[in-house]
Amino acid sequence: MVGHGASGMLGEDGIHVDMNHLKSGEVNMAINFKDGVILGADSRTTTGAYIANRVTDKLTQVHDTIWCCRSGSAADTQAVADIVSYHLNMYSITNNEAPSTQVAASLFQELCYENKDMLSAGIIIAGYDPRHGGQVYSIPLGGSLHKQPYSIGGSGSTYIYGYCDANWKENMTEEEGINFVRGALREAIKWDGSSGGVIRLVVLTAKGAQRHLYLPDTDYTGPGFTN
Amino acid sequence: MTGFDFSNYNRNAALHAKGVPLPKATSTGTTIVGCIFDNGVVIAADTRATSGPIVADKNCEKLHYISPKIWCAGAGTAADTEFTTALISSNVELHSLSTGRDPRVITCMTMLKQHLFRYQGHIGAYLVVAGVDPTGTGLYTVHAHGSTDKLPYVTMGSGSLAAMSVFESTWKANLNREEAVELCAEAIKAGIFNDLGSGSNVDVCVIEKDKPTQLLRNYIKPNERGEKERNYRFPRGTTAYLNQKVISKEDMRKYVTVEEVSGDPNLMEVDS
Amino acid sequence: MMSFMGHQPQSQAVGYTFSQPTNAPNKEHSFYPYTDNGGSTLGITGADFAILAGDTRSVAGYNINSRYAPKVFKIGGDDDTGEGAHIILSVVGFAADGQALKERLDAVVKMYKYQHGKPMSVRACAQRLSTILYQKRFFPYYVHAILAGLDEEGKGALYSYDPVGSYEREQCRAAGSAASLIMPFLDNQVNFKNQYIPSSGDGHALEPKKPEPLPRETVEQLVRDAFTSAVERHIEVGDGLQMMVITQNGIEEIYTPLKKD
Repeated sequence: MVGHGASGMLGEDGIHVDMNHLKSGEVNMAINFKDGVILGADSRTTTGAYIANRVTDKLTQVHDTIWCCRSGSAADTQAVADIVSYHLNMYSITNNEAPSTQVAASLFQELCYENKDMLSAGIIIAGYDPRHGGQVYSIPLGGSLHKQPYSIGGSGSTYIYGYCDANWKENMTEEEGINFVRGALREAIKWDGSSGGVIRLVVLTAKGAQRHLYLPDTDYTGPGFTN
Repeated sequence: MTGFDFSNYNRNAALHAKGVPLPKATSTGTTIVGCIFDNGVVIAADTRATSGPIVADKNCEKLHYISPKIWCAGAGTAADTEFTTALISSNVELHSLSTGRDPRVITCMTMLKQHLFRYQGHIGAYLVVAGVDPTGTGLYTVHAHGSTDKLPYVTMGSGSLAAMSVFESTWKANLNREEAVELCAEAIKAGIFNDLGSGSNVDVCVIEKDKPTQLLRNYIKPNERGEKERNYRFPRGTTAYLNQKVISKEDMRKYVTVEEVSGDPNLMEVDS
Repeated sequence: MMSFMGHQPQSQAVGYTFSQPTNAPNKEHSFYPYTDNGGSTLGITGADFAILAGDTRSVAGYNINSRYAPKVFKIGGDDDTGEGAHIILSVVGFAADGQALKERLDAVVKMYKYQHGKPMSVRACAQRLSTILYQKRFFPYYVHAILAGLDEEGKGALYSYDPVGSYEREQCRAAGSAASLIMPFLDNQVNFKNQYIPSSGDGHALEPKKPEPLPRETVEQLVRDAFTSAVERHIEVGDGLQMMVITQNGIEEIYTPLKKD
């Protein structure tokens, strides 16, 4: 029980190999579209082969219209998101102004880069702010920061590089964007064993945040937006 | 607060490297569950504690008090669940005293996850946190590494798979109190009978809005030991001895000091 | 005896190890051919009978494979009914090896009868079992076997083995995962170890209680009490108790349910 080496251990490839660690975010993505950004993720959290949570919410709010997709260790990404959320709250109080998406992304990067040896976290940050509109940033394992038109992450993402590349368009409408994200995630869930459950989406525009839910019972066609 | 003593760390690490095994901690290789119902939440646990394949305690308590309306079910290393819940219980009470408000489940869950994350999984506490507070009903799981989940029904411990199979096959929305208690007890029983790490009795705790919390200790006892067939009382004098010394009641006075206590002994408890 | 399982010395001389692969940092992925299926067995002899008993639970880790997987077998009898057998064998440890060993011994005892026209004596069978085990000295049957029957004089005979064939005739023996819980109880209740006759002398002159063969009823009670107690404190023991009593009249099998948690 008090096992040495039972907890996270750096292997030769520098990636944590720990079956007791909760892995979440096997597939998630965020895209830019005409009026803002859309984040999407599956809902599976696993411990080895066991699904610890089949309805996980991996789309986490860190400010009014800045959200992130968490993948990797559930404990690490929750802790990082909680810390960023705290700093963004402080920022908006002290500056009497909402933080930009870039500020949020930089905070995430700072934590992920400076603690890279202790973290296994792959995070996509997407947000809407009135000055820059919608923006998507991705922070992979080492803690680098990439601004992208769209980003995909998690183990299931390898299955949908082709799908995304073939179907991606700049300046999609909201409906086109939702169909793009939902279609991509459906493929990832279909082919990747460690992705599954429901599809959750968050649409971030000038109007604020809107959640969508798509269930496997209807092949991810509904029920659609939920608030 | 920072109560861990690391002074033997280097010695123990050196010993471990030489092949000396680590001491065996009593782990509550356990089944614990929780389930929300229309007017509150119920949590339940089995009562077996193990040390390797040996049953260390046949009727231990795995439901821990946090505050009157927040309770915790613990799996993993017995000592870790005990001390972690006691520490957070203490901090929750201080927090509630300083804010003048009833404690919230999410506050307790956040304190637990931050404490456990700081220790990177070395504190082997796997918890189900449940309760009702001014914001409503709360039910969470907290893993040793610090991750949390919020769900309408949860299971943890080595018997979590057996228990979850009961929930996934028979759970429905909008349960009432009786149905929720029955479902949780059934889930624990699945753990008791199908997981070797779990056994003995079912403990249940029901937390309801506007009602006192009920701890139903040994709610079900499906594993009572039968009568032994033979009598194992030995006749006096069976055990060999080489010499004996009898101490009389008068001799005892030499070894004890009797002091008269002045005043009412009940006044020792300075409470409320 | 039993020295083989007891300690795994830090021997650099031999080029293999039976220790399980460790989990970090250099993870070795290799096939480990053995599994511990848990459970316990025990055997006691009387003046004109022998009893072998075993729980019927089979486990793997924290899981139960089966609640009725017998560990006590009739040897040399009819394939389906076991009729005609006059030897019983209990095996505990790795169930697959136990099964294989039982099949081997059963075939050997049958062949003996066909070739010699008379049933194999328990003494001969005991020696043959030892040989079978030692033949696999470097890839052992991972089992603790106990063999029982009636000897040439009609007295209860019990032989217990370590995994590589070292054996001994005994009055009683417990084997398997709860052996360390049951064996001291047997020492005390069957061989009356640590029991003295009250006021039979002072100091070293105190007389120990003399062991004598116990009646069948008493032995059956001891066996059941040993197992119901082992069930209380060992997680791998439970579900059911299978007892085989061998007497001049044949083999009687008795099943008693045990706790299932």
